[in-house]
Amino acid sequence: MTAGAIANRIRALRFHHGEMSQAELGQRVGVTRQTIAAIEAGKYSPSLEAAFRIADVFKVPLGEVFEWHSKEKAPL
Amino acid sequence: MPYREKTARLSLIAMALAFGPYFVIVASGRFRSGGLPDLRQLGLYAVAATVQVLMLCAGHFFLRRWSPEDAQTPPDERDLAIMRRSVSFAYYVLIAGMIVVGCVMPFVTSGWAIINAAFLMIVAAEVVHYGVVVLSYRRQA
Repeated sequence: MTAGAIANRIRALRFHHGEMSQAELGQRVGVTRQTIAAIEAGKYSPSLEAAFRIADVFKVPLGEVFEWHSKEKAPL
Repeated sequence: MPYREKTARLSLIAMALAFGPYFVIVASGRFRSGGLPDLRQLGLYAVAATVQVLMLCAGHFFLRRWSPEDAQTPPDERDLAIMRRSVSFAYYVLIAGMIVVGCVMPFVTSGWAIINAAFLMIVAAEVVHYGVVVLSYRRQA
C-alpha cells in the first residue's frame, strides 16, 4: 500500500466564495463547524458522501477540493 | 468546544467525583464485611450512584441551557466515528475486566470484593470511553 495523505483546498475555496464561514459550509454540507475545521486541517478524512457534498457547495469537481499526495519511497 | 466533548468531560468529572471517593473508602477497608447482603456497603454504593446521576442531570441541564442549538444538533459522521472508536476501546477494557472478575476472582475471593471489582471495571471502561472521546475531539481526529 502506498503511504500518503489527503490534501484539500477548502480554505482557499471558502475564501473565493465570499469568505464563507466554516459554520455556513458545515450547515450546507450537514456536518458541524468543528468537523469542517478538522477536515480543513487534514486531521479528519470525510466520507465520500461528505466530500461530494463539499465539492457540490463550491460547484467544482471533487478533485479540485481533495487530492491524494502519495509518499513514494525512493528506489534503491 | 464541541457539545459532545463537553458532555464527555462532564461524565468524566461526575464519575471521578462520585466513584473516586467510593473506591477510596472501599480500598481503605472501612466497609469490609464477610457476608451478603451488606446494607452499609450497598448504601455507600447507592450514595455514589445518586451523586453521579444528580451531577449528570444538573450538568446536562446547564449545558442545554447554555448552548441549546448545539444540544439539538444531531451527531454528524465525525461524531459517530469518534463514538464508534471510543466504544470499541472501552469494549476491550470491559471484556478484560469481566474475564478477571467473572472467571478468575471467584476462585480467590467472594462477596463484595467481586462486586466492587466489577464496578471498578465498569467505571474503568467508562473512563476509557469518555477519555477517548475527549482526546479524539482535542486531536480533531
